[in-house]
Amino acid sequence: MIKRIEAMIEKSVRALREVIYGMTVYDWVHELEKARNEQERLFTLIIFGDLLGVPILPPYHMLRLVPYLVPSFESWRRSMLRERDFTDLIDQEIG
Amino acid sequence: MSLANIFEEYPERRYIMFGGKGGLGKTTFSAATAYHLAKSGHRVLVFSVDPQASLSDIFERDIFGKGPVEIVPNLFAQEIDADQHIRAYQDEIRQKILDMYGMEEVPEEIESYIQAAAAEPAMEESAIFDQVVDIVVAAEYDYYIYDLVPLGHALYYLSMASVYDEWIDKITDLREEMEEYSKVASLIQRDKELEEDMILQELLDIKYRINTSSSILTDKEKTAFFFVIIPEEMALIDTLKAADLFAKYDVPLSGYVVNRVIPPGLAQQNIPEYLRNRLKMQEGHLARIDELFGEQVLAQIPEFERDVTGLPMIEKMAEAMFGSITEPTTAPSKSVEGANP
Repeated sequence: MIKRIEAMIEKSVRALREVIYGMTVYDWVHELEKARNEQERLFTLIIFGDLLGVPILPPYHMLRLVPYLVPSFESWRRSMLRERDFTDLIDQEIG
Repeated sequence: MSLANIFEEYPERRYIMFGGKGGLGKTTFSAATAYHLAKSGHRVLVFSVDPQASLSDIFERDIFGKGPVEIVPNLFAQEIDADQHIRAYQDEIRQKILDMYGMEEVPEEIESYIQAAAAEPAMEESAIFDQVVDIVVAAEYDYYIYDLVPLGHALYYLSMASVYDEWIDKITDLREEMEEYSKVASLIQRDKELEEDMILQELLDIKYRINTSSSILTDKEKTAFFFVIIPEEMALIDTLKAADLFAKYDVPLSGYVVNRVIPPGLAQQNIPEYLRNRLKMQEGHLARIDELFGEQVLAQIPEFERDVTGLPMIEKMAEAMFGSITEPTTAPSKSVEGANP
């Protein structure tokens, strides 16, 4: 019995915490992550620029970074090459 | 001041380079200097950073891509095989991708990027200078003699290094800023241990390597850079331009060595008009060299009767450059100037 009440309290506390999180700092975190992704794209562009026809850095040393960028590579290309229009102003980010 | 004096007076200058137009005798001087230093009891590595290297030719031994090869006691020569180095490097990258993500093979797009990268024009220079870092950091020798690429390439590398360095700074900053964002985000969320940013570590290491290789070329304490010139109009004009450029990149210049001087003593002999004209022309150019560089001219090396290849000729060249070799056990004495023909 007590256990169940405890579990319920714990559940509602967690829910409450998430509600408060959503009301207060969620936007900050979201903004921060957005800004970070924006930079991640820029960073990848500098290193992989060749692939889009924008050679920026000589690739000798940059090759060393390639392994780390493999996972984000596909989504990066998609996000760089996709069309952009005014709906981008609405807060929906892909990639 | 003679060439030998420079080496005696500045024993801390351990990186020796001869620069100049192609075909003036840089490799010959590098080999002869290495020979001289080795005979005076130092452990010397002469290595080629030129994709079209000719150390194998001068030592009459195939040393290409074989690592340091001992030619005579204490004298090691090395020709860096840039292609082989690049291939090994590419394989390393591929293997890393396979290991990191447990893949069977490298994704096609990535693979084509890796292949295309190897065809870049700056690739060879970068690969060679990068390997130089490994050689120099290992610090196994007393002297390192660079058989330098012709002027253009060295300048190209230096300018590339400085542009590169700025870019690396920029993207390192960018990376640090990114990390800052992630940190703040995870701080607000009060969770998630941040994993160390491996990319940032790599960037810092790349920066270190670029700085090491380019700083050697510009280190006033440890580097002695000699210009090789010959008494000919075109070579002089080019050298003046190059010296200007090198000064801009802070390459410390130790002096000039004049090569291919036709012995003026010949004028007393019965020689054909052709040779007499050459001698007269040379006299003018030598006077001009004296006027331009004066005290900075450290030695005049006569044109030899045959090509400088093989050890006996290298020894002869070393004597022409440094005078006869002093025994390593005796105190350094001012050596005899045997350079003047």
